[in-house]
Amino acid sequence: MKVTRKILPLFLFILYAVPAGMNAQEVPGPDENIPFLITFGKEGGVTSWGDDDFSQTFFFALPKDYKDPFYIRVYDPDTGGKTDELNNFWNTRMMYSIYGGKGCYTHEEANGISPTGNYKSGTLLATRTFGMDNKLDERWYTFGPFNPADGEYYPKFLSNIFKIVCDGISGDDGNLYRYAISRRPDANVPIDGANAFTYEYTFRMWNNNDTSFVSHIYPFIDSGCVYIQMRNFDWDDDGDFIVVSVERKGQVMPLSGDDVWETSRMPILEGEIGKSLDFRFYKKKGDLVRNNNVVISVQNQYGENLPFFSAPIGGVPVYKPRIKVVPKK
Amino acid sequence: MRGVLKHIIIVLLVLSGSWTLLKGQAKGTFEVSHLSAISSGSADIAPVIMNDGILFCSNRKTNPFMTKKNLDGVRLFEFWFAPFDGNGDPSSPRRFAPGLVSDANIGPASVTTDGNTLWFTRNLSEGRRLGRRQSNPLGIYTARRSGSQWTDITPFEHNNPEYNLSYPYVSADGRYLFFCSDMPGGEGNYDIYMCEKLEGQWSEPVNLGPEVNSSSAELHPFMHSSGRLYFASDRPGGKGGLDVWSSSLAYGSWTTPRVLDEPVNSEADDFAFYAAQGGLQGYFTSNRRSFNDDIYSFSSTIIRWSACDTLQQNSYCYEFIEENALRQDTMKTGFRWEWDFGDGHRAVGITAEHCYAGPGVYDVTLDIVNLITGGIEKRQASYELEITDIEQPVITSPETVRAGETLILNAGATYLPGMNIERYYWNFGDETVATGLEVSKIYELPGKYNIQLIVSSKPDAGGVVREVCVCKDIEVSAK
Repeated sequence: MKVTRKILPLFLFILYAVPAGMNAQEVPGPDENIPFLITFGKEGGVTSWGDDDFSQTFFFALPKDYKDPFYIRVYDPDTGGKTDELNNFWNTRMMYSIYGGKGCYTHEEANGISPTGNYKSGTLLATRTFGMDNKLDERWYTFGPFNPADGEYYPKFLSNIFKIVCDGISGDDGNLYRYAISRRPDANVPIDGANAFTYEYTFRMWNNNDTSFVSHIYPFIDSGCVYIQMRNFDWDDDGDFIVVSVERKGQVMPLSGDDVWETSRMPILEGEIGKSLDFRFYKKKGDLVRNNNVVISVQNQYGENLPFFSAPIGGVPVYKPRIKVVPKK
Repeated sequence: MRGVLKHIIIVLLVLSGSWTLLKGQAKGTFEVSHLSAISSGSADIAPVIMNDGILFCSNRKTNPFMTKKNLDGVRLFEFWFAPFDGNGDPSSPRRFAPGLVSDANIGPASVTTDGNTLWFTRNLSEGRRLGRRQSNPLGIYTARRSGSQWTDITPFEHNNPEYNLSYPYVSADGRYLFFCSDMPGGEGNYDIYMCEKLEGQWSEPVNLGPEVNSSSAELHPFMHSSGRLYFASDRPGGKGGLDVWSSSLAYGSWTTPRVLDEPVNSEADDFAFYAAQGGLQGYFTSNRRSFNDDIYSFSSTIIRWSACDTLQQNSYCYEFIEENALRQDTMKTGFRWEWDFGDGHRAVGITAEHCYAGPGVYDVTLDIVNLITGGIEKRQASYELEITDIEQPVITSPETVRAGETLILNAGATYLPGMNIERYYWNFGDETVATGLEVSKIYELPGKYNIQLIVSSKPDAGGVVREVCVCKDIEVSAK
């Protein structure tokens, strides 16, 4: 799917507006309350586990003024052990590839919505494939150090962009993992002003049947957006999906069933322009659905993909009711 | 005419001829003025407006060398006309149509609207001397204007030498003739009768009945275009002597006559009330100043605003709208809006309506309930609602009342902050007024009346008095 850069002109300002010290570089981010990213091995091409393409792409944006080496870390990168999702026996291998340089972000096929073509564009800076490795089970693996200058400088963001692609190159187990970028190789030390984003989010829902466990993702709505079209996959009708914004208190949107896509459209309100939406996913309270893995992406009226930021641009949107009082005759 | 004039003269003699102060003018419905410009040392009575002046009767002396008197030695009455001056006030009078009668009294008159027909009272016999024991009753006559002359003197077809007919008044449309008579079959003394003109002929006289007439004398009928009949009577219940009374015809019956307030009426004789078209000014006769009858003018002191605000009803009802939510597709929301109106009442919905008991400051808050989790997000928005009454005088009263029933009107709910109120003035829309925080009113006739409440402040340091007016319609239904 084509990535259109023109939809993101506000980022260059807003990226730097992320509060310093915010743990924005962990993916999923703390505001998202998502337990894990997930990628399945592509063997058999079975998508009903909740992964439509066996690949996930994330981008890291580092402020241009950040010059120090940094690291990209992966939590539980292997497939096997306590965290991951087993299908029959552990036979899955995951390949992590980190790209920088020209085209790693701006290439039209680089967004990872559909891992076809040159979605691994740019300069390969590091790659490693993991099978089952007990030493890395529930531990962080660190790539780097990387030189921020090795990313693709994207002027509109005033950032150097790096890309990490996780491909399930073999097997059919589910790999549950997280990312972080850090100043240090042995701990997650945030980089002020950095952020992470993706155009298609594949993640694991909480297993808990307590509906207080609500997950969020935060698409950014740029100027000119009239409506958005949401696509979600394999939600197994597991709960409720509502959209919250500064002007929208919980519009209910449809969720997909098992191994199917659900597409819905929602008009954008004027006050939502230039801010993030809050997609909230509530687990169903009655029926417990375990190990539910889901996929979601959003487009605007032109078919341009909208990014989900781990740290929502402009902060978590808070709906503000506005009371109007009209005397009655 | 001798009988009636005698009656009047007797009344003049018997009743107090002392001066009567024009009491309560400032607070009364009318203020009156003595028309000194047309007064004489004799009796001047029964003014009516005719064209550009007033026509009245006087027995003033006109010839220093010769005086015509009746058998009782009283000078004969003649018509006089006082034209209006540039200010609209009657000026020096002159004799009017001296050829209408000779050697007889000529009395109170009425002029048709077109000014071409004069109805007047006169002795049936004129121009010849009668013995002291011979009666010369009064009758009603008409005369037609012919240029500057009045000719074609015609006796009224119901004149009768057996009794008196006098004080004619022809209604503005010329259809009804009111007059007084002591004809047999009445209520006693002089009664008021009415004839209706049907197919060019006057009907038989009809006594207005006991609702109007009494065993006392009823004289000087005047039917105002508003439908109100004024007349003079010395019946009990008046201010003293002859007084001016009024009654109205409602659904075929005359309302109970009510005596006009001071200063039109006084302890002396007050009679021959005549009001101009609008009813706010006119003339009457009284002997309150001296032994002789004099003509007075009256003008209404009634305050009535031409532009008075209609009373607005205080509304304590409001619609509460959560504007942002209203723009959403409410059928698909996952939340519920719960309003707390700050007075112990609550409602659910993106919009809600509520009526408060009265003015006050209310803390309106909005809770939002998550329908998925059941969680309540308290006080997501708040609004301090200050309710005040409309700044206006307030008329509190029923909207309708039956004729003859007492209507209570109260101004206690008036809300005029900062105004040091001195007076509540009520104009009941029927040329009657009252003052006070709470007043009562009885309407005699059905109809819609526009009541004005005019609130006046005490003068401020600069002497400025502030006034505010509101009005309200009251529907008066038949008894």
